Amino acid sequence: KSCQTASIATANASAQARNHVDAQVQTEAPVPVSVQPLSRYNVPRLAAFLRRVEAMVIRELNKNWQSHAFDGFEVNWTEQQQMVSCLYTLGYPPAQAQGLHVTGISWNSTGSVVACAYGRLDHGDWSTLKSFVCAWNLDRRGLSPRQPSAVVEVPSAVLCLAFHPTQPSHVAGGLYSGEVLVWDLSRPEDPLLWRTGLTDDTHTDPVSQVVWLPEPGHSHRFQVLSVATDGKVLLWRGVGAGQLQLTEGFALVMQQLPRSTKLKKHPQGETEVGATAVAFSSFDPRLFILGTEGGFPLKCSLAAGEAALTRMPSSVPLRAPAQFTFSPHGGPIYAVSCSPFHRNLFLSAGTDGHVHLYSMLQAPPLTSLQLSLKYLFAVRWSPVRPLVFAAASGEGDVQLFDLQKSSQKPTVLIKQTQDESPVYCLEFNSQQTQLLAAGDAQGTVKVWQLSTEFTEQGPREAEDLDRLAAEVAT
Amino acid sequence: MEIGEEAEVEETLKRIQSHKGVIGTMVVNAEGIPIRTTLDNSTTVQYAGLLHHLTMKAKSTVRDIDPQNDLTFLRIRSKKHEIMVAPDKEYLLIVIQNPCE
Repeated sequence: KSCQTASIATANASAQARNHVDAQVQTEAPVPVSVQPLSRYNVPRLAAFLRRVEAMVIRELNKNWQSHAFDGFEVNWTEQQQMVSCLYTLGYPPAQAQGLHVTGISWNSTGSVVACAYGRLDHGDWSTLKSFVCAWNLDRRGLSPRQPSAVVEVPSAVLCLAFHPTQPSHVAGGLYSGEVLVWDLSRPEDPLLWRTGLTDDTHTDPVSQVVWLPEPGHSHRFQVLSVATDGKVLLWRGVGAGQLQLTEGFALVMQQLPRSTKLKKHPQGETEVGATAVAFSSFDPRLFILGTEGGFPLKCSLAAGEAALTRMPSSVPLRAPAQFTFSPHGGPIYAVSCSPFHRNLFLSAGTDGHVHLYSMLQAPPLTSLQLSLKYLFAVRWSPVRPLVFAAASGEGDVQLFDLQKSSQKPTVLIKQTQDESPVYCLEFNSQQTQLLAAGDAQGTVKVWQLSTEFTEQGPREAEDLDRLAAEVAT
Repeated sequence: MEIGEEAEVEETLKRIQSHKGVIGTMVVNAEGIPIRTTLDNSTTVQYAGLLHHLTMKAKSTVRDIDPQNDLTFLRIRSKKHEIMVAPDKEYLLIVIQNPCE
């Protein structure tokens, strides 16, 4: 038998819409999930149901507990990426022409925009240096690596940057002058939303890091926390006409640090302890770790009540936040990062080229790794793999550590700069977990695509991390 | 009479929850609304809604293939744990277990 399709008939017709209707669409912030009350139920029928199924469920639970059917069985859902590759090389030529470094990097809440702050991190008087904050939207078609989607001119060097956790276009930055500014990148004509101004409350030293925190009681409103080498940790809220007002403040004073570790003695009595980095715990929203110029991390709490013994003027009473002092590095700390998977683990890295893995339960670090002969400028835990972290070194490379593979040397070493100029900052993208952005001294931001081994959690990783934390040094 | 059965319900759920590796236990009614749970509210609401849908789909799949057949048990194995659903006309019993490897 044979078959033959008949020839296809075609005809032409044209259509034109006559009536037009305009409509606008705006997404709103999601309403927080309300708690579902346990409803009334019929007890005898529920009891009868449970009687019916209990035996079967217990049998299945037993079988599952003893089963080896799935040992070593792994499924690959995504295309396997074997290598780490550089997806984008972004830069802003006017900033690079002035010799500016990328000092801070942040991904926005949707994971599609990466912003960088330009400034200088080496020693010198950068007080009159004009700088920029640039943002690139990586999801936009026609992305031009030399032309950011948004550029903000800033009168002073910007040293740190952080995007708002829910508003995709709001970004906060800390300046060399000690000010904290918040911009709205969706308004190119007038992006400045709030500023602290130069008041008695403002930091007197360059701001080392800014972080967004949810307001207690209002989980959809946020405040900005800034730390600086003047020893102050300040919490700001935007009020009225563009003014950031101080709501709470803390000051680190040498005398008030807990004596859980022996620290070098200082000649004067009351000296400020410069804060260089901050990281909040993912498990306790009031607990945070501060990195200091003295090289010792501090465990601090927003709920600390003791007044700080400082003469620094402030409109809000300053409190002493430190509750525990950890053993120091051989030099100032530049970055700290709290594990998103384990409540007690955090990393710190600094000028001694070492990364320390600490448990909050003891002063000496669990382990200390030398990653660089020069300084380490940034360290971040991976948001998806409990045993992975990345570090940026003064030798121009980004090192990816997988504690599951090797606890001695990095699993992957990415050379970011050709001339070994330092990489100053790096951030993982929590929405698109295969992306890692790093900024260097040449004013370039490189977006790296990580291989699949860095983006998918292995079957027992969380347990392995627990075991690592439990290996407390004696 | 009622008090005795209420205690029986609690005992049964406690037995299941204390089994080796069990992370959470919940009972969901025919509309997908949780009525007993050992997990926090937002997680429970999520599991209840999603698994109710999936169980209905699994049931209709089995019956479409063979109308004389019916779903008796549903197990979903993921990288991190195993979800077990015991379905019924009026209720669903959902147990999440972390299996030994």
